[in-house]
Amino acid sequence: MLAFTLRRILVAFAVAFTVAVASFLLLHLSGDLATSIAGPDASGPQIEQIRRDYGLDQPLLTQFLAWGWKALHLDFGNSFYFRERVIDLLAARLPITLYLGVIALAVALLVAIPLGVLAAVRRDTWIDRLALSVSVLGQAMPSFWFGLTLILVFSVNLRWLPVSGNATWKHFVLPAVALGYYAMPAVMRLTRNGMLEVLSSDFVRTARAKGLPPRKILIRHALRNAVIPVIALAAVQFGFMLGGSIVIEAVFSLQGLGQLAWESIARNDFPVVQAIVLVLAMIYIALTLAADLLNAFLDPRLRQ
Amino acid sequence: MTLPTDRAALAATLPPDTDSPSAAVIPAAARSPGAIVLGRFMRHGGCLIGGGLLGFIVLAALAAPLVAPHDPYAQDVSRRLIPPLWQAKGTWDHILGTDKLGRDYLSRLLYGAQISLLIGVSAALISGAIGTFLGVCAGYFGGRVDAAVSYVVTTRLALPVVLVALAMASLVGGSLKVVVLVLGFLLWDRFAVVARAATQQIRNQDFISAARASGLTNLRIVLQEILPNIANALIVVATLEMAHAILLEAALSFLGLGVQPPLPSWGLMIAEGKQYMFFQPWVITIPGVALLVLVLAINLLGDGLRDVTAPEGRN
Amino acid sequence: MPPRTLVAALLASLLAGPALAGKANDTLVYASDSEPENVSPYHNSAREGVILARNCWDTLVYRNTKTGAYEPMLATSWKWVDDTTLDLVIREGVTFHNGDALGPEDVAFTFNYVLTPEARTVTRQNVDWMKSTEVTGPHSVRIHLKQPFPAALEYLAGPTPIFPAAYFKKVGLDGFAKAPVGSGPYKIVSVDSGRGVKMERFAQYWAGSPLGTPKIGKLEFRVIPDGESRMAELMTGGVDWIWRVPSDQADQLRAAPNITILNSETMRVGFLQFDTLGRAKENSPLKDVRVRQAISYAIDRKAMVDNLVRGSSRVMNALCFIDQFGCVDQGVMRYPYDPAKAKALLKDAGYPNGFEIDLGAYRERDYAEAVIGYLGAVGIKARLNYLRYAAFRDTLRSGKVSIGYQTWGSFSVNDVSAFAGVYFRGGEEDLTKDPEVIADLQAGDSSTDPAKRKEAYGKALGRIASQAYALPMFSYSTNYAFTSDLTFTAQPDEVPRFYAASWK
Repeated sequence: MLAFTLRRILVAFAVAFTVAVASFLLLHLSGDLATSIAGPDASGPQIEQIRRDYGLDQPLLTQFLAWGWKALHLDFGNSFYFRERVIDLLAARLPITLYLGVIALAVALLVAIPLGVLAAVRRDTWIDRLALSVSVLGQAMPSFWFGLTLILVFSVNLRWLPVSGNATWKHFVLPAVALGYYAMPAVMRLTRNGMLEVLSSDFVRTARAKGLPPRKILIRHALRNAVIPVIALAAVQFGFMLGGSIVIEAVFSLQGLGQLAWESIARNDFPVVQAIVLVLAMIYIALTLAADLLNAFLDPRLRQ
Repeated sequence: MTLPTDRAALAATLPPDTDSPSAAVIPAAARSPGAIVLGRFMRHGGCLIGGGLLGFIVLAALAAPLVAPHDPYAQDVSRRLIPPLWQAKGTWDHILGTDKLGRDYLSRLLYGAQISLLIGVSAALISGAIGTFLGVCAGYFGGRVDAAVSYVVTTRLALPVVLVALAMASLVGGSLKVVVLVLGFLLWDRFAVVARAATQQIRNQDFISAARASGLTNLRIVLQEILPNIANALIVVATLEMAHAILLEAALSFLGLGVQPPLPSWGLMIAEGKQYMFFQPWVITIPGVALLVLVLAINLLGDGLRDVTAPEGRN
Repeated sequence: MPPRTLVAALLASLLAGPALAGKANDTLVYASDSEPENVSPYHNSAREGVILARNCWDTLVYRNTKTGAYEPMLATSWKWVDDTTLDLVIREGVTFHNGDALGPEDVAFTFNYVLTPEARTVTRQNVDWMKSTEVTGPHSVRIHLKQPFPAALEYLAGPTPIFPAAYFKKVGLDGFAKAPVGSGPYKIVSVDSGRGVKMERFAQYWAGSPLGTPKIGKLEFRVIPDGESRMAELMTGGVDWIWRVPSDQADQLRAAPNITILNSETMRVGFLQFDTLGRAKENSPLKDVRVRQAISYAIDRKAMVDNLVRGSSRVMNALCFIDQFGCVDQGVMRYPYDPAKAKALLKDAGYPNGFEIDLGAYRERDYAEAVIGYLGAVGIKARLNYLRYAAFRDTLRSGKVSIGYQTWGSFSVNDVSAFAGVYFRGGEEDLTKDPEVIADLQAGDSSTDPAKRKEAYGKALGRIASQAYALPMFSYSTNYAFTSDLTFTAQPDEVPRFYAASWK
């Protein structure tokens, strides 16, 4: 376990480093930073002064190290558009995106796991086919179209839920459904397959032979084992949701990290964009690291 | 090592009934006779429906110049937002109505199929080439090459795709070419993992050792022995990535950084129709359904192909 | 204030409700699509910033919208000592929102500060005509102009709010942007970057102000970038007032019983600005006047007005709003819709098969797309660069796009100097820098004789049209949509006067 842990952490660091380099390059590819910081009204000498002040005349490697050092301290500089620190902007918006991701994941898991269990237990019946169809359909719909349709039906026509904004929990219901819907098929399939595998395994057959009540078998033994791979999947899905929430946040005007990223891209506000890419990637790396370690702990076969 | 979370990441976006990609099996015997496969194909519901729909769409796209009633770019602002035929003010002149600039919707839908298919195929080809190359190297040579490729894959999976695609598109400016290139350079991960797993499976088989013993170079072994055998699995992945690319392009165009107007991309049509969604919902419903049908068809076909060429892998 | 932990966020959202809009809460929630990059009126050029400025800050002079006369506001009287010196007497008894008394030091400080380069004023053209301001007595100031500027009073009645000197010096621009202080009918209670601004009626607003006392207790500006979300929010009661509703949707909303639609022409004029100097493209086709004229003939502006814009919009032929002083329309070259002529001109200029070009835009995407459609019909393949305003302005200034779909509201200043001058007097926004035009505009801007001014402007506008440096499109008519509980009137200067609105 220790060897696995060390190896896994090493990989995580290597990946984090690469992403940091990519992030840094993204910022510097976006154009002459000195001009962007100085603004359109600045004169030549003013731009040169800024170039010196921000260390932009140094070799790229030096700049990268300086940037990296600051990034470790969560100092990403100032936004070109707002006159605020990037980290402040991120701190204001990140909770919303996290909130959305958690609810979306909860929705996905609460629907998909029972559905997967049901589909496995009632294999090849209409329930199974229904579950399959729902997931097939889900994967084929463009997420923004789904979101718009939800707004049309539930906000405008039925008036059950608000249209946009993020003031109350009600504002997160539709976005969570729209975002979570895409995670459901994979979770459902995995649960179903896992359950099928476990249900046909020896020790379950033994339990049945011993006369244990079927529900107990189901929950105590089968589900517990089938759920292990779902942990990894859930971590990954959460990571994807954080990154993929751009579209949903744009449709529902949630003012979260994704929407900030999109608006910053539209405004060429690259310090913000680069910081968001970095932060999201780091969250994903941390999550998958935790999930892999947890998985390896629960299932020694995975430690190879 | 392939991380469990990487496998999970790839499983996250597969269509129903497909297992994790490392279980994309090649049968123990070298090749399945074409006739058996074709027979299975014809009896598999998903394959027929998916293939049929996709074929229809491809045909419609190819025939667009002949079949489309109007020029998709011809605008006439005095004939805006005419509803489709089945609604009150519909007309036979514009069966699916007109959009906000008076352009015929049916024509735009047909030409839009061209764009979606073009993007899907091109992006799948580019990402397929990159991913297959990486995966085969990793699977064939193993050891450090394998570790290096796995690390690259894990890094790629850590990047938020939509965000990076948007950022790159905004640096260069959105356009058809840029979208294809950006998607091609971002969607190769599944190809790599599947190619690697498949290559590993057959690398140690007898006919490969025989080929090596008879003095063939590695390159020829890869080209002549390995690629043809993993082609089945790769084709399945290609169909999935095609669907993935189409949906991503729609999202990019919706956010304004994909294909640019006046090109009739379905994603762009949804974006353009968004402001009419309350009172003229057909403007977004029609391209939305078109996208749904296309992606559904591709997914069904891909899943069916997987079933048909390697049914042992199915649960 | 963002919640610090997820648990706190969950609890807060479960217990709290959204800020309720409407008559019941005496809160008028209005929504628009952009947030100004800085709430300080001198540091943003967004219309949303102008709205905040007019409702929360006072100016020296007030322009009576009915009579057009200039009346006292923060200045009780004024006198022109000579062509470039203006003396004003500052009203007593006015307090800022934070309790500080308003005096001539605040006027002098504000005007001198915004002229300094460190201030990084975004709206330079609104203050550049001033040279310096000094306190001349316990209740008086003197403003020195750089040269005679007949529109001075117009500017002092509009985009020149007065800041509190002591407070501003204490907190600096950054502090001021987070907690602004003015002396207007509404005071800003909170600035929530990304979300909006909350305001409430200022109880100590000075009596006798031409703006009157506001009848609505609280104002809330919500930033909702998405047009459909704004409309849906209005329809479901989440917001009370929106504007710039596209004519298609406005027509549909008219049917809703709880919503009132108001259409009003505005001073905003859309126009295509051409990169005449050819900075954006190697051998730019736009350097050739025939190409620019071809583009002008290729666009059916009348059809756009009749079908897309509708309402009270009008086609413009001179680069100004027809009702502005000095906007001379007669004798200016016209470009009726003539695609055949456009193609012929292109062929003459050496582009029989058209060419590719970049067109930038930042609002009313539909109009830009319609323009692209018309250009496509004569062979010009235009690529749309649709950006936020700040980015759009930058790409145009730095010469990255060849055609810019500009709109200009002249900061609601009713004088041509606020329009043509911005784009053709050799400044940052001038993509042409024609010395004749620059000279004529300067002559018009600095003369005090109305006849001479009209003549100079006529020449400048005529040359802009005949050389097709820019193509004026049409005036914008905007649709306001608001709850039927509200009494609201609109003016063509596109400044919603919420202080004058009331509940029914």
